[in-house]
Amino acid sequence: MKKHTVISLVGLCLIASLMLAACGGAATPQVVKETQIVRETQIVKETQIVKEQVVVTPTPGPDPEAMIEGVEPNAEVALWTFWLSPTFDDYIKSTIARFEEAYPGVKVNWEDHQATFQDDLRNSFAAGNAPDVINLSVGEGWVSEYATKGLLLNLDDQVPQSVKDLYFPGLWQQQLVDGQNYQFPWYQGISVELINTKIYVEQAGLKVEDFPKTVEGLPALCKTIKEKTGTLCDIRLTVNDLLAQMVYEGDVKVISDDGTQFTFDSPEGAAWLQLYVDMVRDGTVDKSALTTTDDRVGLELFTSGKAAFYQTGPNLIREVRANNPGLYGYLAVVPAPVGKSGVVGKGLMGISVKADTQFPMASIALAQFFTNPRSMLEFSKIVAIYPSTPASYEDPFFAAKPVAIEDSAKPVAKDIVSKYADIVPTIPKKADVNEIVRQAVEAALFNNVPAQQALTEAVNKANALIGQ
Amino acid sequence: MAQARTITNPALAVRTRARSQISEKIFWYLLLCLLSFVTILPFLWIFLTAFKGPNDAVYSTPPQLIPRDPTLANFVRVWNQLPIGRFFLNSITVAVCTTGFNVLVTSLAAYPLAKMKFPGREAIFYLLLATLIVPAQLTYIPSFILAVNVFHYYDSLPALILPNISSVFNIFLLRQAFKTVPNDLIDAAKMDGASELRLWWDVLLPVVRPSLATVAIFTFVNSWNDFFWPSLMLHTREQMTLPVGLAALQGMFTSDFRGVAAGVTMTVIPILLFFIALQRQFIRGLAGAVKG
Amino acid sequence: MLTQPSPQAGEGRGSPRPLVTKKFSLTPYLFLTPALLVTVVFILYPIVAVVFYSFTEYDIVTPPKWVGLKNYQQLAQDPTFWRALKNSFIYLIATPTLIALSILLAIIVNRNLRGIHVFRALYYIPAVSGSIAIGITWRWLFDVNGGLVNGFLVPLGLLTEPVQWLAEPAYILPIAILLTVWAGVGYYAVIFLAGLQNIPEELYDAALIDGCNNFQKHWYISLPGLRPQIVFVAVISSLAALKVFDEIYILTNRTGGILDSGVTMVFYLWRQAFRLTHAGYASAIAIVLLVITLVFSMMNVRLLERGVEAD
Repeated sequence: MKKHTVISLVGLCLIASLMLAACGGAATPQVVKETQIVRETQIVKETQIVKEQVVVTPTPGPDPEAMIEGVEPNAEVALWTFWLSPTFDDYIKSTIARFEEAYPGVKVNWEDHQATFQDDLRNSFAAGNAPDVINLSVGEGWVSEYATKGLLLNLDDQVPQSVKDLYFPGLWQQQLVDGQNYQFPWYQGISVELINTKIYVEQAGLKVEDFPKTVEGLPALCKTIKEKTGTLCDIRLTVNDLLAQMVYEGDVKVISDDGTQFTFDSPEGAAWLQLYVDMVRDGTVDKSALTTTDDRVGLELFTSGKAAFYQTGPNLIREVRANNPGLYGYLAVVPAPVGKSGVVGKGLMGISVKADTQFPMASIALAQFFTNPRSMLEFSKIVAIYPSTPASYEDPFFAAKPVAIEDSAKPVAKDIVSKYADIVPTIPKKADVNEIVRQAVEAALFNNVPAQQALTEAVNKANALIGQ
Repeated sequence: MAQARTITNPALAVRTRARSQISEKIFWYLLLCLLSFVTILPFLWIFLTAFKGPNDAVYSTPPQLIPRDPTLANFVRVWNQLPIGRFFLNSITVAVCTTGFNVLVTSLAAYPLAKMKFPGREAIFYLLLATLIVPAQLTYIPSFILAVNVFHYYDSLPALILPNISSVFNIFLLRQAFKTVPNDLIDAAKMDGASELRLWWDVLLPVVRPSLATVAIFTFVNSWNDFFWPSLMLHTREQMTLPVGLAALQGMFTSDFRGVAAGVTMTVIPILLFFIALQRQFIRGLAGAVKG
Repeated sequence: MLTQPSPQAGEGRGSPRPLVTKKFSLTPYLFLTPALLVTVVFILYPIVAVVFYSFTEYDIVTPPKWVGLKNYQQLAQDPTFWRALKNSFIYLIATPTLIALSILLAIIVNRNLRGIHVFRALYYIPAVSGSIAIGITWRWLFDVNGGLVNGFLVPLGLLTEPVQWLAEPAYILPIAILLTVWAGVGYYAVIFLAGLQNIPEELYDAALIDGCNNFQKHWYISLPGLRPQIVFVAVISSLAALKVFDEIYILTNRTGGILDSGVTMVFYLWRQAFRLTHAGYASAIAIVLLVITLVFSMMNVRLLERGVEAD
């Protein structure tokens, strides 16, 4: 009798979940309301097949957006984007649809990954089924990470000069590995400080205009804020690319010119680290935000209304708005402090192609399509990101006066983006060296190891590593 | 075996005992409730957070437990973004298949080890014993490579089922059970001309049914909650099982407390209901598994 | 086809003596084949493979490169490895804690109150909820802003300001251990409950007559009577403590904690193999884990034997 109960219960569960899944599946397909229905396209959203109907206005002659020649017929390429779903599903899908019109016969399978993007990508490279076209964060150093392992396609050889000229030169030449470029510059961010005026102005009595223009000014600011309001500073180290942060913020020369000896234990390096050590020691900074690998953790702290300011891009103001509408009314935006290097920043996102893709030209075409002026202009219109192509800025959209706080950087965007430069040298065995540096930084921050000593030990370890 | 006790005033003794019995009962109930509170509180909090509307504070001191603006919107949001129904289906498929095959294979293997005599029996027995010591995590790297290069079932459910078709722990458990079957039963069946397979199926299995139930429930719950190996194997959203999907959900909705709470609630409630339904069997089977 | 009647036919039930068969038959081997096949492919081959990989440098994408004992030498000098080892051993504190608390809980629920089944089921809930759901729940409990722990301790005045529990190197392991204990008490209590119910009532009656109080009653009767269960739980939970991964993964959001304070052996293995793509190095860690587990199990077996002899 009891066995029957068990079996019938399991059976019920099975049936119930089948029904659930069926209902769940039925809820997903969306029909985009378009006027002219000419063709149906298959687009994969989160690896589910969604049929969407697309408008196609027939143009005489070749599609001006189809700039890459030699695209393989009937190619099928996989695309991974980083944390763009669900917010930008429509944009991605419509861009893919336009791409498939420009290059008939090519099929695109799209997946978006979020917090586990890196883990998923590494695993898929290991398994041999990595995506052909990958959205990588230049800001976090991912392009050089994979390029130094030989996993990405060298774009300098394969892409014609006319296409290269579409982009800001500083952006095409960022995160070079051995002098070669491995990414199409995609959407750019502008580092701004989001300020919670309730804490900053009302409680701490500070003025928004007086926000420090340089990184050196931060420790004093955090002290003031802690004294007057009791809140901690929400500052984040790019734990995945600490050497790059050292270069931009501290103007540190991290490796010798011939690339054989690490040199980040210089006085400048120690000074940079000491800045953060002091803040931790003074108890003015939030420790878990400081060392988290996840940018969203720092944002979360700010969104919850517990931090006076947070450095990020205006595009993430939408997250604040969604999760804490009350805070949105109290936001102010100022440019982010500049590091000692004087270089305002480097690029944010890029799109790369994997080295052993079966369809190199189709993959390059897709990467180029997403990063062409029109695609990026459309993206800029729906969220506060900025194109990597000068041509986009000629659109009246960028000349229009900013209305919402998200748009405040628009007028100066082109100027800032054009000045982005990659001043970080190629680092051999980057992931392992970064791990060594991370441990040294944490030891100095939290374990009372003197900054200079921690860095020197790290330099020795790193040199031993690349000496082999 | 009651022994005689000296009782002075029988009536008084009865009344005192009754009164102390009631206060004793109250004491125990209070204690039990307190312990339940400790056990349940974290889940209760998550459960309530899942229903909080956008106007209910999620971060506040002191924490606001009961939502004043209850809504189902969080569940809808999470359901639309992640194929939770798919996660369920996958978990059920994997758990049911794993359990089914596992019980079959291990009960097949346990029979000869318990009741038959053949060359190599001791050697095989100790070999299996030795593998009990091996931590599963040790095998993940080669298994990963095996899955990808040899079997080519990376990112699919068979990757989760096949390695778990046999479990040495279950073999031992069932071996214990088979050993307690009286030989007369087996002799009788053999005299009737039954083949070993027939014997195993018709005679032995029904006798050890409680142990089979134990093994089945054990395997089911372990398979349901398994995280490490599935997280290595599955990366496309619609292939994920519940624990992996839940971790992905947490990654996707980092800043969205209510959404994550809704997701956790949706994944925990069904297994809770399943467990409560089968609770008696489970506890009995688990207890019976470890007799001296 | 009569089998030879065994000379002790009719011996008591549950006789463990196997049947005597005359002719050699393939049947036993056939019965064992599926299980053995799986064991060979998924356990024995990986062990051999891991031993091999531990002597190589291997990033899974390119073929392995033989390096001899280098990985082991590097391990010996790797401070993170020693920390992971230390953390795994510290985690063993969970085992006696679990045993003590579970026995306590079993004693509490071992009475015939109405509705006791409901309580028993309630205490079991953490055990079936899965480590990820529990991990996420606990991450929030200890969240510095929205967590219940700070939410209660601060207004009560026990804390002056919210503590960043999960960012303090010293707190990560204790919180993880607490999680494991909380999740495991119900599970092991059931085993002890059955054990308690197997202890003859007469023993307790005799103790009452002899004037024992409750504590003595349990110390002198329940505990010895529960020995087989205690050994079983000790073995299982200590092996699980050495292999802990899921809790650390979720509580530290895949980082292992500040200063690697939460890194355990298996977590370090995962990080080396799948984040830093050093599969060879990770294999060396795995072999060390295997040796430790082996030693532990042998010690446990010896304990078991001694316990059986004492009975």
